[in-house]
Amino acid sequence: MKAIFQIVRLTTFLLVAASLNNLYSADDKKGAVVVETYCKGCHQIGVLGAPKLGDKKDWQKRAEKGFEQLVQHAVNGFNSMPAKGGQPALTHNEVENAVANLLTAAGVDYADNPGPKAEPKQKTASKKTQKTVVREQPTKVEKKTQSKVKTRVGNSNRFNRLMKPREQWNPAPAKDGIHDPDNEGTYLLQKPKEAFADLNKSSSGNRVDWVKALENKLISPRFDLNDPDKEAFVMDLDIVREVKGSMPDVVYPHKQHTQWLDCSNCHPDIFIPKKGANQISMASILMGEKCGVCHGKVAFPVSECRRCHSKSKKIKSFGN
Amino acid sequence: MKKSILRTTFFITASCLALFFTNPVQAEYGDIVINNYSDESGMRPVVFPHWFHRIRFRCKVCHADLGFKFQAGGNEINMLKIIDGQYCGACHNGETAWAVENCNLCHSGKPGTPIQVHGSTVQKLTPASSPSNN
Repeated sequence: MKAIFQIVRLTTFLLVAASLNNLYSADDKKGAVVVETYCKGCHQIGVLGAPKLGDKKDWQKRAEKGFEQLVQHAVNGFNSMPAKGGQPALTHNEVENAVANLLTAAGVDYADNPGPKAEPKQKTASKKTQKTVVREQPTKVEKKTQSKVKTRVGNSNRFNRLMKPREQWNPAPAKDGIHDPDNEGTYLLQKPKEAFADLNKSSSGNRVDWVKALENKLISPRFDLNDPDKEAFVMDLDIVREVKGSMPDVVYPHKQHTQWLDCSNCHPDIFIPKKGANQISMASILMGEKCGVCHGKVAFPVSECRRCHSKSKKIKSFGN
Repeated sequence: MKKSILRTTFFITASCLALFFTNPVQAEYGDIVINNYSDESGMRPVVFPHWFHRIRFRCKVCHADLGFKFQAGGNEINMLKIIDGQYCGACHNGETAWAVENCNLCHSGKPGTPIQVHGSTVQKLTPASSPSNN
């Protein structure tokens, strides 16, 4: 009986260990990881004629050019293949490993090349010069990961362990836990990181400051379904709400709201358009009512206290 | 015997907790999962990315002009309404945006994902309402 329990425990341990390993091997430089993380996006379904994962026919053609050539194409870009698959942080070796992995996965025997580890000794001279050129950029990244390894801090003791580390922000749809990675369409969806690259940054929500992005004209969302030139009806009126306690008073700007919304979105269903007529509390906002209909769902979340509570109160002095 | 059961239960619970904290679902803030009819019809649930749409349209277009309520799953959208040009169908008609035959671009969620506003405060405060995703 005891043995059965021990087996159950051991299996659970192994399962958890395996999944943890999967989750945190992002720094790993193995070809399989690079393929899974970066290459799959296009090579899974063959976007723009990319050779498909595991398709021997597709890969055989490419392999005939020689492994070195193939790696060069992957590193520097070729036809629709962007340089390093659009991931400049990848090192030459990582790309090389990935190519080797892709070929192996397709069952292609790339005989005229020695594989990623055993490099031909005769070629070292030309190879070296090539590598120094290509490697100039990624050395920083390499150094970083090296120092990471040196500290040997386990994931359970990492800084702010319950917060998402920056590299996990805005994951691609296939890796976000909600989209189905087995669905082909998932790979055609735009990646948020790509869309947000040029927009103003923020530390919460989508990690984008949408109001600033709109003000700076980095995005130009239509105000009308069909007419791209229709301007928003903007009303510039601040409403100050005095709040209890020591929190600064709330300044509600109609301007930023009317840039996005129509009056009818809020009035009269959510807010009665009359000063003093609306009871608002943080409790109701947290539960998705009043301001919480948007803030805490799509507009910046309630953790950004000072963006609303922005008007300092006059401090009364006591004792005089 | 009892001890063994207790220890095993404890171990499994601890492991689940470890996974819970280390394997957070991390889709975009404001992604809406709509699963009114999808699961029962054998389709993947719909994932609506707010971020993608707000780059292209102001909130007003959908939430005032097209009549989308501010409630995940509250609009009772079905394919018939979409083909009739209501809701998503106002744009996803092959003119403004790609048409309905691209089923798996919208129906792209993991089967069984409950209706939710992903990453919302309510979701964080009431994990019971969304058992599989926090």
